[in-house]
Amino acid sequence: MKDNNDSRRLAVDIGGLVLKNPVMTASGTFGYGEEYASFMDLNVLGAIVVKGLSLVPREGNPPGRIMETASGMLNAVGLENVGVRAFIDEKLPFLKGYDVPVIANILGDTVDEYCEVANILSEAEGVHALEVNISCPNVTRGGIGFGVDPGLASEVTEGVKKATELPVIVKLTPNVTDITAIAKSVETAGADALSLINTLTGLSIDIERRIPHLKNITGGLSGPAIKPVALRMVWEVAQAVSIPVIGVGGIMEADDALEFLIAGARAVQVGTANFINPRCTVEIIEGIAAYMERKGIDDIENLTGTLKT
Amino acid sequence: MGGLWGDVVAMEAPEKSIETGIIISNREIFKDHFLMIFKVPDSFRGSTPGQFVMLRRGGGDLPFLGRPFSIHSLYSIDGETVMEILYRVSGRGTALISRLKCDDSVMILGPLGRGFDVPRGKKRIVLVAGGMGIAPLLCLAESLLRESGDESIETTLYFGAQSSHYLFGIDRLKRLCSPLKLSTDDGTVGYRGPVTDLVNRDAPSFGRDESALFACGPYGMIRETARIAGEYSIACQVSLEEKMACGIGACLGCAVRASGEKRSKRFMRICTEGPVFDSREIDWDYHEG
Repeated sequence: MKDNNDSRRLAVDIGGLVLKNPVMTASGTFGYGEEYASFMDLNVLGAIVVKGLSLVPREGNPPGRIMETASGMLNAVGLENVGVRAFIDEKLPFLKGYDVPVIANILGDTVDEYCEVANILSEAEGVHALEVNISCPNVTRGGIGFGVDPGLASEVTEGVKKATELPVIVKLTPNVTDITAIAKSVETAGADALSLINTLTGLSIDIERRIPHLKNITGGLSGPAIKPVALRMVWEVAQAVSIPVIGVGGIMEADDALEFLIAGARAVQVGTANFINPRCTVEIIEGIAAYMERKGIDDIENLTGTLKT
Repeated sequence: MGGLWGDVVAMEAPEKSIETGIIISNREIFKDHFLMIFKVPDSFRGSTPGQFVMLRRGGGDLPFLGRPFSIHSLYSIDGETVMEILYRVSGRGTALISRLKCDDSVMILGPLGRGFDVPRGKKRIVLVAGGMGIAPLLCLAESLLRESGDESIETTLYFGAQSSHYLFGIDRLKRLCSPLKLSTDDGTVGYRGPVTDLVNRDAPSFGRDESALFACGPYGMIRETARIAGEYSIACQVSLEEKMACGIGACLGCAVRASGEKRSKRFMRICTEGPVFDSREIDWDYHEG
């Protein structure tokens, strides 16, 4: 990372978007970037994926919204966000001050809403790609219906592709029987890349009061607890499609990120780890570079999908 | 904040950072209640009373997430900056933290959040603490004594707990606050009943212009203090708590409902907009407590 030679070796191409390294932040774990600026230089990141945006602001679920579980956490924040217009007016100007691609995560209740959000963001200067959340499990009316049905997933992908010129990444839910079926369907519909996995639906109970810890009853499980599941799915999907796959799920350190790359991911997103160590992404990027040095790997893309089975 | 606060004293907050602390002592004061004293980098000097830190065991995977603790006290010993936190073991995370020993390291993120804003021109500062709610208020009382200078400020403490054993730090507090009004649920010390009974009884004599209330404790106690403050138009700041994963405004776990017209109803983040709020900022009826 310290000279041009190093940055060339780490650069990756995700559906036409070139990143200086394969490490991004996962949506919903990095706010709108500004929350982390006092801890690290945002410019070192491959990309920043911002908190999911809807057409109108959403207030989210009532508390309790989070609970620590074994090697991870459950959350039911409920897609709280400022809305796409406030994002452009109030949050995006800050990010434009940095030399880092901004990927806007988008969500909606209908195909039309996804398209409208995509359209509005495409006209805003400073957004470099869209990530379509068809998988958040927390809102009853939300994306879960799109993400578990190959037909609906394909419909929303086609719609967003028509509404924007930006690269479109579709983020997949693991809460399905066969994730490769959804992946192939979304690829056929024109997605430029896939990111997986979103959180796994879970439950945690307060035995004293016999109530769920989360007000929403169920929530999304994230953290190291889901990493083996995420790795397995990335490995399966990477073999099933030819578009780039972005690995997400329980990455805490460089070794975890490297596992995803070897399994077939072209890039990774770091999520829950940001909550614990706000500088973890910096350490992961340095760790990947050190591994390449140690293994004599000149180009990060030579590592992708090299799992020996 | 309306006109209640008058001129708010601007305090320069140090930049938040991620640091390592070294434990000096971590001892049980009484049944599951602990006082941890640890060395912190000098960058923590200048933290505002009411601010908090996210603390995690150094070099361990558990607890997975950091835990938020109000700064209980902050001072220097032999040129080194020392912080205290007061906590109760309430789950697996705090149980693991309670087993840490002298010389063990802790990962500290801080100082975080918005602390107390002590207004100028208030002659009577009224602190209202319930049980562990004394944690940030001791820090505030120490700072009031340090910074009052020539002004004569009367710091009154209303402190309630389930029994006398849980009235932590009374000896220190006696030197900082006068008068000191105690209550216990079982009557072992002071008034028998909720501490807010005492506040409610004395509130007519506080005086709206010269007084300010600062409260921390169980939700019901804080809500009642806020109600009394509203009834007598006395400025009131409260310190709230909620589970949080990051402490820096990203996870959106620590939501509290903002007051206001229906259209503007929204959640605020306790870690960032708080943990200290003007009592009028909170929709007290929304939460169950």
